[in-house]
This record gives sequence, C-alpha cells and structure tokens, in this order.
Amino acid sequence: MSTNNSPDDHDEILDRIAERNPSRLGVGRAGSRPRTPTLLEFRSDHGVARDAVHSHVSDDLIETMELFDIQTLVDDKDEYLARPDKGREISEATAELLRDSCQQAPQIQLIVADGLSSTAVERNIPDLLPILSDGLDQRGLDVGTPVFVTYGRVDVMDAIGEELDAECCVILIGERPGLATAESLSAYMVYGPERGTPTAKKTVISNIHDGGLPPVEAGAEIVDLVDEMCDKQASGLDLTSADREFTKD
Amino acid sequence: MVFEAPTDAASTLTSVGIDVGTTTTHIVVSELRVESAGISGADKLVIGDRTVRFRGPVHETPLLNPETVDTEAVAELIDVDLTAAGVGPEEIDTGAVIVTGETARTVNAKPLAHKLADESGSFVVATAGAALEAILAGQGAGTANHAAESEATIANVDVGGGTTNTAIFDADGVVETRCLDVGGRLIGIADGKITKLADPARKIIEAHGLGLSVGDSVDQEQLSRLADVMASLVVDSLLGPPYDQLTLQLSIGPLPEESLAVNAIVFTGGVGRLVGEYTDPTTNADPFAYNDTGPLLAGALAEAAADSQMSVMQLSEDLRATVIGAGTHTTRLSGRTVYIDSEQLPLRNLPVISAGSLADVHGSELTATFSTTFSQATQRYNVRDVGGVAVGIEEIGDLSYDRLQEVASSFESALKDNYPLSVPIVVVTEQNCAKALGQLLEVRCVGWPLIVIDELTVGTSSYLDIGEPLAHGETVPAVVKTLIFGE
Repeated sequence: MSTNNSPDDHDEILDRIAERNPSRLGVGRAGSRPRTPTLLEFRSDHGVARDAVHSHVSDDLIETMELFDIQTLVDDKDEYLARPDKGREISEATAELLRDSCQQAPQIQLIVADGLSSTAVERNIPDLLPILSDGLDQRGLDVGTPVFVTYGRVDVMDAIGEELDAECCVILIGERPGLATAESLSAYMVYGPERGTPTAKKTVISNIHDGGLPPVEAGAEIVDLVDEMCDKQASGLDLTSADREFTKD
Repeated sequence: MVFEAPTDAASTLTSVGIDVGTTTTHIVVSELRVESAGISGADKLVIGDRTVRFRGPVHETPLLNPETVDTEAVAELIDVDLTAAGVGPEEIDTGAVIVTGETARTVNAKPLAHKLADESGSFVVATAGAALEAILAGQGAGTANHAAESEATIANVDVGGGTTNTAIFDADGVVETRCLDVGGRLIGIADGKITKLADPARKIIEAHGLGLSVGDSVDQEQLSRLADVMASLVVDSLLGPPYDQLTLQLSIGPLPEESLAVNAIVFTGGVGRLVGEYTDPTTNADPFAYNDTGPLLAGALAEAAADSQMSVMQLSEDLRATVIGAGTHTTRLSGRTVYIDSEQLPLRNLPVISAGSLADVHGSELTATFSTTFSQATQRYNVRDVGGVAVGIEEIGDLSYDRLQEVASSFESALKDNYPLSVPIVVVTEQNCAKALGQLLEVRCVGWPLIVIDELTVGTSSYLDIGEPLAHGETVPAVVKTLIFGE
C-alpha cells in the first residue's frame, strides 16, 4: 500500500511541535487508516487507561498510608460505572462504622478514593498524603482519621463529611484516564460538607501527576487552600477572587 | 490553581527600560501581559504580549569628564522623559536600567545604575554586562523571535559607541555571545582634528601601524582604514575560531572555542542602524556628522559582511534594540506554586550561589554540598550587609516526599553550621517543588526569613531581584542578572 503522507517526509518544525505535545501528531497514515505502529501504540495506551479504571487500589497502600477502609453502595466495577449515584453514598452500616471508629468533628477530614483511576492513587498518594498531613499539622489544624473509599465518586465526601461532622473535607480521587496519561489525580475540597452540596461550592486542583503538578507540590498547595478555606469559612465560588487578591498590609 | 481567568486588569505590568550607553541615553515604557502558558491549571504564568508604549528621544549621554557620567543630568533627562510618557514611579511595576558599553566602565557606573533603578519604580533593577547587553539587544530587535520562527542561526550584532556585542540565536534561543571593544566613538573628532583615542583604538592603530594620534588633522582615508580593520575584527569574531590576535586582545570575556555556521546578521545599535546608509562613498552624507567614526565603521561593516557571505537582514528595531530588550525581556515569572513571605518583598541584588545539580547527591555528601555552598556565600559576601543570598538548585532529583525531606534536612544542618541566624535565605529550584520544599524547610529553619521560588534558572555570579507577588499571589516577578561594573 502506498503512503501519500509519509511521516518521514516532513519539516523539522513538525517534530518540534510533536515533541512538545502529548497528542499523536505527524504520525502519518497508510491509505485511509493509521499505520501499524500507531495503531498498536493507541491500543496499548487504551489498555493502560482501561486497567486504571478496572484495577483496584492495593491493600498494601491502604495499610501503609494508615487509611480507614470503607466502601460506597457500589458492589463491583460495572455497577460503579453504571450507577454514579451509588458511588456518592454510603450505607447506614458504613456510616455507623465511621462514627464508631473515626475521630468525630475534625476540622479537616482527608479522604482518598479510587475514582476512575486506581493507578493515579497508587502513583501519587505516597508522596502527596504525607506532605499534606505535615502541612496541616504545621498550621495547627485538627486532622481526623484519613479514610479510603472503594468505588467512590467526588461527592461521597459530602456524605462522609456530614456523618463525621467535619468542618472541611478533602478528597483525593483518580481522574478519568486519557490516552496521554492514566496517572492523573484530582483534589476536591469543600467547606461545611453536607449531602447535596453543589459543585459550585467545591474547590478543585486537577492534573496532579509527574507530568503535571507534581504530587508533593500539590500537597503543599492543598495545605494553603484548606487553611484559607477554614479562615474564610468558604469554598468553591464562595471563595471569591477578592479573597484571594494579594494585599500587603 | 483555582480555576479562574488569570488575565484581569491586574495582570498587565508597566515596565521601563533605561539604557545609559557610551554615546546615548534613552528610555522606553512597555506594557507586559501576564498570561497562562496553557489551559491546564498547573501551567506556569508567563509574560505574553509585549507592547512598547513610549519611545523616549535619544539623548547624548552627559559626561562630567571621560571617566565620569553626570549622574544628576542623566537622572533629570530620564525624569523629563517619564513625565512625557505620562507614567509616575508608582505606576512602574518592573523594568531595568542597563549601563552599557564604555559607560559601564566609568567610575560611577554602579551608583548611577542603582540610583536610577531606585528612583524609577519599586521593582526596577540595575544591570550591566556586555553579554547581557548583547542578549537584550537581540531580544529587543526581534532577532531572537525571527530565529525561533525561521529556524535559522542569526547573529545580532549590536554596534554602539564603545562596544560591539553579538548574541547568536537559533530556534531554541541564545546560543552564545561574542563581545568586542570595538565601536564608533573610540575616536573623537572635532573641528577637523582627532580629539580622543580610546585604549582599544590605540591598540588597533599600533598593531596595524596606522600612525594616528590625538591632535592630528582628520584624514578620511586613514580613518577609513582604521574602520576597515575594526569591521574585519567584528567579522573575525563571528567566524572564528581561529581568531586574529587582535580580536582576542579586544574581546570582552572569553570567545567561544568552537565555530558556528551563522546564516544571517542583524546589525543594531547606534552604529549598527547606519549600516547600509553609509556604504556608498559617493553619497554626500558627511561621515563625521556625529563627531566620531560611527558612519565610517557602519560602511566598513556592510562591506565586510558582504565579503563574508553572511546575509545582512533588517528588522524593525535597530537603534533602541537594547533598551527595548531591557524594558521587555529582563523580567521573568516564577512557577505558580511558591513559598513566599510577602512582607520581605521586594528583595534586591541578592548574590546567587549555585549548589549545582543534586540529583545524584545523597546523605552526608548532600549536607557537605550545602555546607560548601553556604561557606562560599559567607566568604564572598558579608551576607548580612547584602541582605541575604539566593541558593540555586539545578536539579533536586526525584520529586518524592522522601527525597524532599532528605534535601530539607541536609539544608537545615548545613544552614545551622554555616550561615548567620536571621539573615534572609532564598532558594531557587528549576523543578516545580518550591511550595513543598518551603513547607518542609519552614519547620526546620526557624529563625531564618525564608523564600523558595521555582521554575527559574540561576547561576553563580549572577544576582537576583524578586518583586512583589502578582496574579493573586500565585507568582513573583524575578530578574536574574550579571553585574559587571568596572571590569
């Protein structure tokens, strides 16, 4: 099959663009189809993304990080994907377990959830969580028992925060993987969590991974944001840009 | 990091550039726009559009005598121009004073630069140095941009009254600089007589047996020969090595040891802008209209460049290239997550000591490296008097929690043994980890005012200025510079 768009026959400038961009640029084609190496690479990346969604966070990590392990109303990965509503809620039994075993009414409740990428949790939490806990301690904030949620969606932090009567919740959750990276984590934060809190009241830092915001740096950044949220008693859009304006007094 | 558009009104900086050169002094006022480099929240803020708002008139640099600049007169000229531009010192966010060419070697260059910087705005910095001047000229003239867009290797040759500063750019930026003591005003002329021969001119006259001395009547043919030699030295500095013996004698700083294929030349500066105008000797233009040999040198340069097979290009800015570069390209922005104490900012003229790359340095060796860095700082400077030092770290290594803890602990031990208490310490990392490292150092280095910024490259023997935070405290403007006064 002749190729009328050979990938080797192009300007050096395309190489420069491709180098700086994670997309599949300038890969050429064979007739109307992708070339074999492109197709194989695509399928490999897709496989990595699927693995990130379908795998589970290891017990090892949950133990090392000393996380209290719970599960949402979801029973398996298929149900997790089909029923986002169940991923936001915990059973009455789980709620009771939380109240019995975890610190009540902490200032800050930390939650780690698998979300759509267990890989992201495995890769980022070991560096992010310790610096986050250190920083919150340094600011004199009272941090409750950190919790791990299997099959968790972002808003499960509202349910957990409400049950534990936390002042502020932080959930570190695996992002939907793409074909460029499956290791990206997000941190969502809310002040005064209660079930049904709208997304507008939540603050987020996304793109946490080695190629984006490094996890250690994200940890220190979350400390600053949480400290500010507690100070201003607000989160999300309520934390207006006026609050964040730099002032030198 | 919080999702909000970073480009509000507060994200435009007013920047001033002030160039006090061998022959001329002038200012420009520019607007710099602070933009996000990409769509992701983790992308750093950068300076995007740069618009020149005001181009001041070109003044003759007032001198008290050949070795002393008239500081008061320069300050007054600049004051008048800033008034004409309609900006007061309180509106100027950033910028640079650059003392260039022969003027940088005058006895009062350093106090002059600092005085002008202090009076012109809260974060205007003082700079000097032929290499920096060369780079700024290339950036101001648009040569750097043109090289990046056309993927060509282009030499920006800034020819002024006292020096010729060449910066060579390719698609990725500055490749190297080549600077010479060659300029249009090394010979002074008045009333048909030679009134001044600066040292570099004497060296050339001696080496080529041209037999010119102060008081001689002007002989255009003889002076043209001198200009031809000067032009050939400039071309020689671009083509070498090997270099002519005289080129080596007149070079400012070492010349590169490997030659480079230059595709094109852009001439800028007071003499550079005349290249092309004075090429044809049959025109009626008076070659001594400026009381110096600038026009003759310009003509000689055009011929020498043509003989060298390098093409000569013209870009939009020539005369004001350096000052525009100083006004628009000196300020950089740090990464978006930094550890700062805004009470301490701005910080000015902090000497930089680089700890180098630490990627493969561990344990006691790491502590020893930091100890050496701090000892170097305290030996070279009275750190308390200069207001602290900045420690540059090229590479920390793996950005893991354990690694940062190791680095922070080693830093702490070295600091406690080698650096006086309560003197400010600034850490500058190239990797994005300032906030995390700052948090870890905060508990360990109690008693030292601490600032950690990232995504900037600094090297030993440079100086660092850090301004007040911008864009909701997410970034700080920083200027890294080399001050070479009187060298």
